[in-house]
Amino acid sequence: MSGHLDDLRRWRLPRGRHGLPRELVARSQRERLLAAVVRVTAENGYDSTTVGDIIGEAGVGRESFYELFADKLDCTLAAHRVLVDHLEQEVRSAYSRPGPWPQRVRSALECTLCWFAADPAAARFTLIELSLVGPEFRNRFREEFARFAALLDEGLPESADPALPHATSLAVGAALTRIYEEVLAGRAEQLPRLFPDLTYQLLVPFLGEAAAREEQRLAVTPQP
Amino acid sequence: MQKRPSFEVVPNVLRPTVPADVGAKSQRQRIIEALIDSCAEKTYAATTITDIVSRARISRTTFYKRFADKRACFDAAVAFSLAELREAALAAHSPGDPPAAAVRQAATAVLEAMARRPGLAQLLTGDALSVDPAIFGRYRRLVIPAIRGLWAAAGEEPQAHLDPRVAFGQAQLLIFNEIAAGRSEHLLRLLPEIAYLAVAPFGGHEEAVSQSRLAAGSPAAVASRA
Repeated sequence: MSGHLDDLRRWRLPRGRHGLPRELVARSQRERLLAAVVRVTAENGYDSTTVGDIIGEAGVGRESFYELFADKLDCTLAAHRVLVDHLEQEVRSAYSRPGPWPQRVRSALECTLCWFAADPAAARFTLIELSLVGPEFRNRFREEFARFAALLDEGLPESADPALPHATSLAVGAALTRIYEEVLAGRAEQLPRLFPDLTYQLLVPFLGEAAAREEQRLAVTPQP
Repeated sequence: MQKRPSFEVVPNVLRPTVPADVGAKSQRQRIIEALIDSCAEKTYAATTITDIVSRARISRTTFYKRFADKRACFDAAVAFSLAELREAALAAHSPGDPPAAAVRQAATAVLEAMARRPGLAQLLTGDALSVDPAIFGRYRRLVIPAIRGLWAAAGEEPQAHLDPRVAFGQAQLLIFNEIAAGRSEHLLRLLPEIAYLAVAPFGGHEEAVSQSRLAAGSPAAVASRA
């Protein structure tokens, strides 16, 4: 995946089929197709989406589509990768800021919630529609789950002594399960409200209840 | 490919050795088991009616006599799997057990049942999500009141230390993650986490850590790390 796609999220927002922003039209066909598959799939569902819908939305010919992607699944997975790469990059940068570890976890969590809230269509595409793509879902889930658990592990201070062997997987699971549920219910935009409660839930296995409460108090819901 | 579950462990009257005239219920059961096995191997999405009927050694006509379609068969398989796990959980503890210990034992038994038969775990945590993304909510409404009830039955006012909905989702994700990675033989390594997640919502962090340590020291958990 080439680096210049990392800004997919910025130009995925045009509403309707008319008036695609000029900057979007200027991008390569591949990028337009990736943005289109996110929008169309989030709206129609993976099963109901056709290559025709994607190329229609992207304004790209069918032949060009098949030069770039083997099929709908291939295009879907490519777009998924771009989005999750972008999310990881943002979370990594939030998590790498200097400061005590619980504070860095808070900032990574805040970043994650805001990322999903910023674009409900991308959120739905990334989390919900992925589970409908068939057998490839298992692999993709495993890869992405491992990636975020590893990211959290990397930044874990030597002194941290979680009460559980797979505490970082638990933390990723806590965020994922709650975000998944909100996105499924169509409440992606309200995700930042979960910031205090999720902070507590994520940190309890590492810090115990009293210290996690303190972090919860410090987690102030970000304003949009 | 995942390691196939061993049927020797679970006595099963419905293996092909039984005579052809077994009752309608067992034929239905055989179809359900065929769907579970096929989903474990290739996921629900990729499973066809042909896969199911050839595994169950029945005709398509017979399949459609028992089930309207693949989805109906899937729903029956989910109900069967939940009943199996529920039975394992109930058998694992006695009415007099303190709630935290009872929940730890029940959680351990559920995970052991899944490890014996990873198809159940794949079906309930992975495939079910692909069929009905809202499925986690359905399970949760079965499990959380049962856990809370153990505290209530012991005369203790259940206090929510951790959001039980989140804990439940975490447990499902951890299990599915092992299944997705084709590591169903390692499911029992999750015993400390699963025990923790089962106890923490109403028992609190400290109690959950103690129960988690007990679970990690259980023979099954020790063997899983060997």
